[in-house]
Amino acid sequence: MRNSAIVLAIPLLVLLATGEASAHAFLDHAEPRVGNTVATAPREVTLWFTQKLEPAFSTITVTNSAGQRVDTGKARVSGSQMTIGLRPGGAGTYHVTWRVLSVDTHTTDGSFSFQVGK
Amino acid sequence: MDSVGNDVHNSLIVVRAVHFTATAILSGSLVFWTVVAEPILRSSEAAIIVWLQTRRAAWISLAIAAVSGGFWVLLQAAAMSGLPFGDALTADVMSTVVNETQFGLVSEIRFALAIILAGCLAYDRLLWVRGLALISALGLIAALAWTGHAGSTVGEAGILHLTADVLHLIFAATWMGGLVSLARLLAAARRSRTDAWALVALSTTQRFSTLALISVGSIVATGIINAWILVGSLHALIITDYGRLLMLKVTLFAAMLMIAVANRFWLTPRLALPPGSEPQLKALRQLMRNSMIEIVLGLMIFSIVGLLGMLHPAIHFENL
Repeated sequence: MRNSAIVLAIPLLVLLATGEASAHAFLDHAEPRVGNTVATAPREVTLWFTQKLEPAFSTITVTNSAGQRVDTGKARVSGSQMTIGLRPGGAGTYHVTWRVLSVDTHTTDGSFSFQVGK
Repeated sequence: MDSVGNDVHNSLIVVRAVHFTATAILSGSLVFWTVVAEPILRSSEAAIIVWLQTRRAAWISLAIAAVSGGFWVLLQAAAMSGLPFGDALTADVMSTVVNETQFGLVSEIRFALAIILAGCLAYDRLLWVRGLALISALGLIAALAWTGHAGSTVGEAGILHLTADVLHLIFAATWMGGLVSLARLLAAARRSRTDAWALVALSTTQRFSTLALISVGSIVATGIINAWILVGSLHALIITDYGRLLMLKVTLFAAMLMIAVANRFWLTPRLALPPGSEPQLKALRQLMRNSMIEIVLGLMIFSIVGLLGMLHPAIHFENL
């Protein structure tokens, strides 16, 4: 029974070890960077997530300071990366709102802003 | 999450647990027949009885897996679209889910495997057909890895995670389904009380013990890899719902393992006592009882699995 006790303890003991990994589709980073200021309005916004995405159920919308949509519509998805084009716009605060479905069938959403020309 | 979303979420947990359990018993029963029973029984009378038991268990679990799998796809369509259950059941939404998502593609493949398996069970006279049934059943359980957390992990860790999860599912099914088959075989031996069946009970229990040992070792090893990827640290294990549920799952698994050790080293040797004698019959009864307790613990574990797959893994909260 002593041997079996050791066997039982193994999974719990190994769980004590720390690891570097991630799971679920959460925003890893974006371009333009979250909260940063860029000199001119970008042509597109790209978001990188921690998991692979389902294109059919993943969306991004980008609005300007006046609350008007400035994105071109459908986002392009490649693996864990999602990009959306922007129409030409001026200076101000841009809001990016995303809702994505990872291939493990879980939906996550969020938003961030970046500044143009200030 | 609104009340409609909660209903879909809760239904998904139940449906997933039922589907995982049925699929595990399905493939585990066929593994038990192929690896444990058939090599011992060959063409004996007992072989016919045990195969009929196996085929019956496979049919019932396949039917439950098919119905629960169908509900799973419908509920998942509602969850993915964000629509109420009734509104999501449109051709447009269903077509998008089935044809444009990984979950849908895997579901289509698994549906095809279920059809092949049903055909094999219906025309089971030939050995190669039984072999194809086993391969289809293993595919059915293994493909579940692509519907869960392992299917979305990026990079090299994704390959490791998928490999570990496939093996974890197959060996968990082997143990769980094997226990169900063993309990039914022991019940037949107890009813018979003949020397031949006593020998069958002893031989199959010993052989299953070896298979269970291999399964347990694989479950532990692959479980550690999965936990490393999805939990990541002791802190995350303790502070998150995911981590606490995982600890409960490991505790139940440990209880199953202790019973299995008692079966192997204490009860199985007693099956070699004179057939029909009180100590031998008592050992048979206790083995059956212990197998049933293990099965109940296994069902509890599959219920937890149904819930774990719906939660955000602990590693996410650790990285925030």
